[in-house]
Amino acid sequence: MSGDVLSYAFWRIIHSIPLVIGVSIIGFGIMHLAPGGPLAVYTLNPTITVTDIERIKVALGLDQPIHVQYLTWAKAMLTGTWGFTFFGGRPVLEVIVERLPATMVLMGTSMALAMLIGTAIGMLGAIRRHSIFDYLATTGAMLALSFPTFWFGLMAIWIFAIQLGWLPSGGMYELGEEGNPWDLLRHLVLPTMVLTLVLVATWSRYARSSFLDVIQQDYIRTARSKGLSTRAVLFGHAFRNAVIPLVALFGVQLPTLFSGALVAETIFSWPGMGRLFVDALNMKEYPILMGMIMFTALFVVVGNLIADIAIALIDPRVKLG
Amino acid sequence: MSTTSSPTRRSLLKTAAASSLILPTGAIFSPAIAQRRDRIILGTTQEPVQFNPLLYVNAGAENIPEACLFDALWDVNEKGEFIANLAARIPTRENGDISADGKTWRINLKRDVKWSDGQPFTARDVEFTYQTIVNPKVAVRSRSGFDLIESFKRVDDHTVEIALSRPFVPFMWAWQNMHIVPHHLLSKEENINTSGFNAQPVGTGPYLLKSRTAGSHMVYEANPNYHRGAAKIKQFIHKFVPDQLVAYGQARTGEIDYLGVSGVPFDRWGEAAKLPDRTFFPLAQPWVQFVYFNCGKPQFKDPKVRRALYIALEMQKTIDDVFFGAYKRTLSYLHTSHWAYNHDLKDTGPNPQLAAKMLDEAGWKVGADGVREKDGVKMKFSMSTTAGFPARQATQAIFQQNWKAIGVEMEIKNMPASVVWGEYTTKSQFDTLLVSWEPTVGMDPDYTARAHSKMIPVKTGSGSNYTQYENAEVDRLLEDGVKQTDQAERKKTYARIQEILLEEVPFGPQGGVFQGQIAHKSLQGIKPNQYVVDAAWNVHEWSWG
Repeated sequence: MSGDVLSYAFWRIIHSIPLVIGVSIIGFGIMHLAPGGPLAVYTLNPTITVTDIERIKVALGLDQPIHVQYLTWAKAMLTGTWGFTFFGGRPVLEVIVERLPATMVLMGTSMALAMLIGTAIGMLGAIRRHSIFDYLATTGAMLALSFPTFWFGLMAIWIFAIQLGWLPSGGMYELGEEGNPWDLLRHLVLPTMVLTLVLVATWSRYARSSFLDVIQQDYIRTARSKGLSTRAVLFGHAFRNAVIPLVALFGVQLPTLFSGALVAETIFSWPGMGRLFVDALNMKEYPILMGMIMFTALFVVVGNLIADIAIALIDPRVKLG
Repeated sequence: MSTTSSPTRRSLLKTAAASSLILPTGAIFSPAIAQRRDRIILGTTQEPVQFNPLLYVNAGAENIPEACLFDALWDVNEKGEFIANLAARIPTRENGDISADGKTWRINLKRDVKWSDGQPFTARDVEFTYQTIVNPKVAVRSRSGFDLIESFKRVDDHTVEIALSRPFVPFMWAWQNMHIVPHHLLSKEENINTSGFNAQPVGTGPYLLKSRTAGSHMVYEANPNYHRGAAKIKQFIHKFVPDQLVAYGQARTGEIDYLGVSGVPFDRWGEAAKLPDRTFFPLAQPWVQFVYFNCGKPQFKDPKVRRALYIALEMQKTIDDVFFGAYKRTLSYLHTSHWAYNHDLKDTGPNPQLAAKMLDEAGWKVGADGVREKDGVKMKFSMSTTAGFPARQATQAIFQQNWKAIGVEMEIKNMPASVVWGEYTTKSQFDTLLVSWEPTVGMDPDYTARAHSKMIPVKTGSGSNYTQYENAEVDRLLEDGVKQTDQAERKKTYARIQEILLEEVPFGPQGGVFQGQIAHKSLQGIKPNQYVVDAAWNVHEWSWG
């Protein structure tokens, strides 16, 4: 089995190379076709003349034809630095990697909690369909999905940081407390709460419909008619089948573990990838944007691969290859 | 049905409760952050990414590392006077450092200055800084003023002599704006644009960069050998809080000692002023908000039409209603508090009746559809600014109503910053813009780049006269102004320029931009300075009272 899995993974990765190259060409093309560009930020500075801007354009290589710019970028991408940022002159890979841990901590915690709580709520909603709990969960999920994240974020800050003073309003560590896990935990509470709220809403809906599907199947009825306890039916028969679509959903959501949360990171001053992306987008910092697109593309491929392998492991009917 | 049996529900609820983060109340309570007297935390919404003072783009946030780590030859103080920094004294004609014809500048440098790595600061560093600024391969943000240098000579280790192609009084500002970088480190770099120095800089400034946490903060320690005396506060922390409202919240809770640059949101000024233990002050920013008219478009060719359109606008009302009165009405490209502001300028608006009359006289008659027209051209145009800036949008909406009342149709066409301020502006493709801009050479009243007819980029390929404004008298006055050394004489010249600009309105000034700054009451030494955008310009003088 393990040999099969490895060879399957190998070929899947080989097959995804054209896909990743395609993503990079489309991403690069769209970015450069979009109106405006990184030089606009210089226009806002009145001491900079049009001649200065032309000079900077040459210095940054933005005067080159787009295919030359693409090849220059692709070469840098393959040779390790991933290119240099326009506005700091630093290697893109370094800029991305220094933001990764923060995003992984925040998104990892939030996703893990959301999966646990969401699956639990969905499951309960399915087995107690049309109960008060089910209606509450459905309404709650709709509310959580309808309100913008920034509103939840600002409310959480206003209540817990400003009014009650229990928790810090933002950042990852108190200044001087870097690396202190207890301090990290305090800072994690609010952003995780807000992100989990939104993610739970999504997960619980998927989980509910998936469990509903499964518990209406004949084999569940058969299991019950055999006299098995609810617990045995639910965890021995239903659970494994019901989580299969959730594993696929996990595969799709995995890249967000690395791409970060745009709004929540901004509101909570969380030093992660989401904020890097927002800042890079504002400045039209093409090298960082391209780096992040490639990073996400790679994780989409990996996420789907992991999900497929996991499904094959859970469901013996599915064969890899 | 056994599916509803209670043990299952309980176990599920248990799972849910165990896995959710129910706030442990008392356990994570943190007492109000105690003020620490050995450090200061300054907050900004933006994060600096470039610490090389010649290369950064984002004034405001990136001025902070510049002020902490580097020095210029001279600074400008809160009164608008130049004060020597790395220079031993300010060059003037009186002390003989500037030649009688104003073309030769001799700059004497301090002798006791060291870079933070221990190397001595010399004339070679100043020469290298100049060479880097004019090096076409380096993405230096501006060469303004330096392009006039004809020759640069190192007289000795502590003296340089610069010859200019023509006398240029605002040359002082060029050096005030560009901080000196070390020759001994950067001259070895093959490509300064991507040099490691830009992230790990070595300067002569009051602080040394100790650590940087991407997306969070930067920590500086006082430079014990600083040539103007070691900073009084041992540690300086620059914290980045991207959301302005959250940043203000942190200034209230004490997580930030001084909220500079982006400041307090306008609608919170009243509240901020009443906070105990906090000092709140509105600080004049160098920018003035304008309506820019593209004089190259048929609707705006006639100065009388532009004037009519300008006086139809409710400028003070927009300031009061939209900006909570935080901006201050000005009739020129300068703040009313600038030394060169012409206080004889008269505000004749809003006067829609007169505006309508002037448009009639100029031949723009109301057509069948209620919109004015002349020679087949409708008085219809767009106004653009950065999208997603609610205060500016509200301003535009009021202007739209003002103009509609006199038969002028304006369409709001806002775009992302990277679009509107790109070629749409620099190639004069816009109809009108709503924009805030500061003077072009530091805070000198010189306005050549914006108002001289030789500075229209679509025609001459240089300058930033995006309105395509041309006036021979303004050209001549601008040329005179940069040669005059007597401030009283200069004031007259610029007063006349402001008078003409208000009469012909290539750009209609609305108000001088202010930002609400909030600092801890015990923090001493902060000197609000309208002549710089740099909140930390005198950081070495700050102390805890």
